[in-house]
Amino acid sequence: MSKTPLLEIENLHAKVGDKEIIKGFNLTINEGEVHAVMGPNGAGKSTLSNVICGKPGYEITSGSIRFKGKDLTKMSVEERAREGIFLCMQYPVEIPGVPTTTFLKHAVNAVRKHRNQPELDTMEFVKMVREEGKKLGIDADMIKRPVNVGFSGGEKKRLETLQMTVLKPCFSILDEADSGLDIDALKVVSEGVNALRDGQRSMLVITHYQRLLNYVVPDFVHVYADGRIVKSGDKNLALELEEKGYAEFVKEK
Amino acid sequence: MTGLLQDIKLFGEYIPWLQALRNKGRDSFEEQGVPTAKTEAWKYTKPRDLNADDFVFLPSNFLDELRAETTEACCCHHENCDCSGDCRHEDCGCGHHHDDSHECGCGGECHCHNHELNLNYGIPFDAYQIHFVNGKFIPIFPALPRGVEIITLMEAVLIDEAKEHLGKIAELDGYPFAALNTAYMEEGIYIRINKDVKLDKPIMLINHTEAGSKNLFCNLRNLIVLENGAEAELVEWYKYAGAQKSRYFTNIVNEIVLGKNSRFNHYKLQDEAYKANHVSLSFVKQKAEAEYRSFCLQKGANIGRNEIKVRLTDEKASAEVNAAYIMSGWATLDTTTNIEHLAPQTFSEQLVKGVVNGDARGVFQGKIHIAPDAVQTAGHQLHKALLLSDTAEIDVKPELEIFADDVKCSHGAASGELDERQLFYMQSRGIGREEAKQILIDAYLEDVISKIQNEAVRNWIKSAAQTEPVK
Ligand SMILES: Nc1ncnc2c1ncn2[C@@H]1O[C@H](COP(=O)(O)OP(=O)(O)O)[C@@H](O)[C@H]1O
Ligand SMILES: [Mg+2]
Repeated sequence: MSKTPLLEIENLHAKVGDKEIIKGFNLTINEGEVHAVMGPNGAGKSTLSNVICGKPGYEITSGSIRFKGKDLTKMSVEERAREGIFLCMQYPVEIPGVPTTTFLKHAVNAVRKHRNQPELDTMEFVKMVREEGKKLGIDADMIKRPVNVGFSGGEKKRLETLQMTVLKPCFSILDEADSGLDIDALKVVSEGVNALRDGQRSMLVITHYQRLLNYVVPDFVHVYADGRIVKSGDKNLALELEEKGYAEFVKEK
Repeated sequence: MTGLLQDIKLFGEYIPWLQALRNKGRDSFEEQGVPTAKTEAWKYTKPRDLNADDFVFLPSNFLDELRAETTEACCCHHENCDCSGDCRHEDCGCGHHHDDSHECGCGGECHCHNHELNLNYGIPFDAYQIHFVNGKFIPIFPALPRGVEIITLMEAVLIDEAKEHLGKIAELDGYPFAALNTAYMEEGIYIRINKDVKLDKPIMLINHTEAGSKNLFCNLRNLIVLENGAEAELVEWYKYAGAQKSRYFTNIVNEIVLGKNSRFNHYKLQDEAYKANHVSLSFVKQKAEAEYRSFCLQKGANIGRNEIKVRLTDEKASAEVNAAYIMSGWATLDTTTNIEHLAPQTFSEQLVKGVVNGDARGVFQGKIHIAPDAVQTAGHQLHKALLLSDTAEIDVKPELEIFADDVKCSHGAASGELDERQLFYMQSRGIGREEAKQILIDAYLEDVISKIQNEAVRNWIKSAAQTEPVK
């Protein structure tokens, strides 16, 4: 069975300021696949996810990123999101003064508009958010509060998962989705993530620890060190890393 | 003489006290002139356009009728001139233009009686409506409840109602445009709310400008009197339609007298055409325990200045003066306040927030004066601005003059930019960058707009703040 590539990253090099962080990164993710990228702190994992999303401040010096066959690097941040890329952020941003519902409604309708779906009216929207929120342990009170303001680490990650659930992206990047989560929250978030796995949607799970991969089981695992993938394998590679650590992959300096 | 001072026949020139007042205004404006860069109170806001010599002052239509009733020599019915009924009133000196020949120089836009008026501007909430078009009163009066009077200022002059306060609340020295306004005092309304009467819905004063290509000079003078224990709300709405290129000038003075224990909510939306000049001065005098609350959103005009001077003359009077401004292009929008605490236990609170884009300039000058006797008073003031471009500018001049002990006073100012991380976060969820900016701007203005007590007015101002001014 031939697979349809969704995300194709070829020989990517990227800089932050004068510092080259991504140094020849190659990865192809096909439709329906879940890939895990594991690496030590400072390896450039967040940088990779930010570059895929088009965050300003990063310069691609060579290589290419294609999404559904299109050159991703030519698209604005919002175009990428509307095309179906979602970044579950390691450090979600607080937006004082903007109620979470308002923010969610703008996002959902922007994406729906792009997909030629009618905008949801307030009733439909509230109903959907309530139902999906409930599954993630998010109550009505929480989504009335300003976006991420005063949220605990766990609440922030739940809200990220809620956003992913209602935006229904075809490609999600989870950047350290498990950081700051206790075991119960981890289960809730993982269930939310797994609910989106339908054999069509793809994911890139970025993590330092193997723990999350017990719940979101990847099809492929890659070791990322010094700006490139140094080893690939199946889910057992994650267990191996957990045991041995990253030492053998990190260059002696 | 400048282009703003012209020889124009005004209503009631034969009324000595009125004419004396006008003459005083005229002398004072001649002495002060249009402010220059050297005028301290106008050092940030430079009304250069007002030195132009092509201002057109439209004669009042409605006041002709009053004039006809009160001036014996009027030839309105062609009795006194030998025209046999077909004169166009140019020669007889009655000042009438009752035909539709538009010889008043309006170029067809003067709204003579013969022209049908469309006053349906989509008034967003139930209100007692008072309409002006190009600064001229449209004689349609709302049905009012008992104990409330709204008449034209000149009618109020005729029946001696206005005499007690007119010109006594406004100051001329240091206020050149109040002086100019006084010299031309004619159009405007008089509002009186009787003792203990609580008005059930806001009064809305709309001045709708259709200047065409003319640089109209509109001069409005309103006198508002709340007797002891009265409560009322006034909404002023300055808007325009049609060609927007005119540098028309709207000059407003409100004199507001608040009796003991009265409450007055004063709201305003300044949405003039982008080349217009809008100068507004409200002089407020408050008796004991009177409460004055104002909110003004400025989003139009090239030069827009909303100035409020409050005198808290008796104990426990309080004033809340809030404002917001949203601007781009080359505009200068100015909020100037002066709160005088003249008695013990008086309170004032001010929050002014602005959003400045393009090459625009926001100005806030806020003065709090606390007189020697005014002990146990509190006066607080805060100005904040959001700068959306590198060339946007704000000038802030807070002034505290404190001559009493045992007072609580503060002022503060802050300016910032939109947070790129917040914009990225929203964009990464599919929200367009411009939409994301608007969400942040709305959030920025939320706290100041939420100070508007009347919910309908608040929602109206909120949606006005969300709509980009037309270029
Ligand atoms: N904005 C930035 N400016 C300079 N250096 C940065 C910036 N962001 C990240 N870096 C550096 O890039 C490297 C990779 O960071 P990051 O992608 O956050 O790593 P990871 O997510 O794998 O821990 C680190 O050495 C970090 O210090
Ligand atoms: Mg990271």
